[in-house]
Formats: sequence, C-alpha cells, structure tokens
Amino acid sequence: CAAPRRAPPADTPPEAAWYGRLALKVDSLPPQSFNASFELLGHAEAGSLRLFTPLGGTAGEVRWQAGRAELQTGQDTRRYPSMDELTLALTGAALPLPALFHWLRGEQVTVPGWQADLSQLPDGRLLAQRLDPAPVVDLRVLLDR
Amino acid sequence: DGLQALEAFVKNTRTGRAEFTQVVTAPLREGQTTARSKTSSGSFEFQRPAHFRFLYRKPFEQTLVADGQTVWLYDVDLNQVTARKQAQVLGSTPAALLASAPDLKALQADFKLSAAPEADGQQWVQALPKARDGQIQSVRIGFRGEQLATLDILDSFGQRSVLSFSGFQANPTLPAETFQFKPPAGADVVRQ
Repeated sequence: CAAPRRAPPADTPPEAAWYGRLALKVDSLPPQSFNASFELLGHAEAGSLRLFTPLGGTAGEVRWQAGRAELQTGQDTRRYPSMDELTLALTGAALPLPALFHWLRGEQVTVPGWQADLSQLPDGRLLAQRLDPAPVVDLRVLLDR
Repeated sequence: DGLQALEAFVKNTRTGRAEFTQVVTAPLREGQTTARSKTSSGSFEFQRPAHFRFLYRKPFEQTLVADGQTVWLYDVDLNQVTARKQAQVLGSTPAALLASAPDLKALQADFKLSAAPEADGQQWVQALPKARDGQIQSVRIGFRGEQLATLDILDSFGQRSVLSFSGFQANPTLPAETFQFKPPAGADVVRQ
C-alpha cells in the first residue's frame, strides 16, 4: 500500500488556492497592461499561477520553487532564477509574490515602494500600487465569489 | 457533413448574432477527483471579415470587441480597457477566427480541417491548428444545418472551453457601432 504522505516541514506556509481576475498596469514607456482571469495555487516558496483569456483558453502558466521560476505558454517554456526576474521580464515590473499571498489572506505586510489596500477584501477586492521606483505599477485583483 | 456545413457557414453567413453559454473546465490537478469548471454567458455578434463582439453578462460583465484593427477588452469591475492590435491576438482565438475568416481557405491557413462523426444532432468538424506555438490542441465545431451550434476548444494545458450558441440569427443587419468600442469615461485605457 501507498506510503503515507510525509507531512510538510512544520514551517511550510499553508497551501492556498485563489481564483479571480486581475488587472495589471505598468506606466512604462510604452505602458504595459494585463487583464486576465487567474488561478493562484501554493505559497510564496512554491506554487503556480495560471492566466486565462476571456474566451476560456489558457494564456500561460507560471511555476516557481526555491531558486527557480518558469513561464510556459503553449509548447514554449522560459526559465528564470527567480519570480522577481520572471515578472520583471513578463510585465516590466518585479511583482512582490510573497506579499501577495499575505495580502490575499488579509495580512498587511509592507514591501518597500508598495502600498496595499486590503479594506475591500471582504468584497474580494485587493488594490496594490508601487510608487517607487518608477514606473508606477497598479495591480487590481477581484476574487471569484 | 460537417465540412460542408462549415463551408456553407463561412460562405453564406456574412453576419451573425447569437446568445452563448460558455463552460470552461480546468484539467484535473494531482489529488483532485472532480475538475473545476466555470460557466459564463452573454451575446455574440460578428461580421466578416474581422469584426466580432462578445458581451459577457454573467457572472460578471466583460466586453471583447474586434473592430478590424484593434481588439478591445473591457472589464467593468476592474475598470480597465486593454487594446491590442488585432493581428497579434487573432491567431489565438478559434472563436474569433471562425467569425471573421472571409472564406474557408483563410481558416485552412490556420487549421487542418476534417469532418467528424455526427453527434448530439450536430454535424461536426475537427480543426487541428497548424501553428507551432501550440496554444491549442484541438477545436471541434458543431453545426445544426448551416447554423453554428457549438465550439469546443481544448488547449495545450488540457483546459476545455465549450461555447454553446442559441437563438442563432444568420445575416442580420448590424449597425456599424456594434463593432466600435468607445472606452467609458474614467476607465483605465492601455494600448499595447
């Protein structure tokens, strides 16, 4: 019979599953914007983020674990040493993934240059903005109800 | 058969309007026993070549409009409009291709088409993408006579999106503004 699944190390953060829509705007020149439904699984140390098009297709999947992050779109997979570098390459701004997991759980954590408004989380809405360094980044998340 | 229905549809249906229901089923993840699925619905209009409009009303409002040059995506709740060049986006959406392809040859440039067995009272076509980027595994298009009834898309991640059309009207007169998108005041508009 199957070996019992070993319990993860005590200090591993809880696994999360978030579903919803996100809108990201980076005020770079030219500006960049992303608008997608998403599925966010796992935790800051290891997990995956799937992005979907309005017509139900999978635009791509980002996966990360310690010391590695990769972006798969169709048959193409690109690898990066960290999620900071992957999100910088993909969107023009390094996105604070660890903080995002905390924010979505309603835990206010500070990230240099970022402001997060958790006041509307009861309605499933998270607003976060990076004011420093430029360019300004605006992230809006709306969780499925 | 399905191929004849598709050819007639692309040739004879220059404009169209229908209601649709879309069921998106995610692939099973390790440890999952039931797949997660999401249902949305709205209305769909198109005019060959290169014009279409998906208005999602439930569970939330989103508008996707192709005006021939630009594909606009407006999410009401997030108050953001994204505008992309149509050429960049078109290739990846079978629904858009089906609605805006001027003729069968245009579809065959992107898909290998073959008739599939009749099922559920529909004639089917299987469309396998020729693109190497592999965003889509396969598409099945279902017709009732010459009317588009179903679009069944399996993508390379194993996610399945089934659009079922009802109340299909072929060749209605559609006002020009149907495919024009004016960003609402106060919405964030980003062109890419």
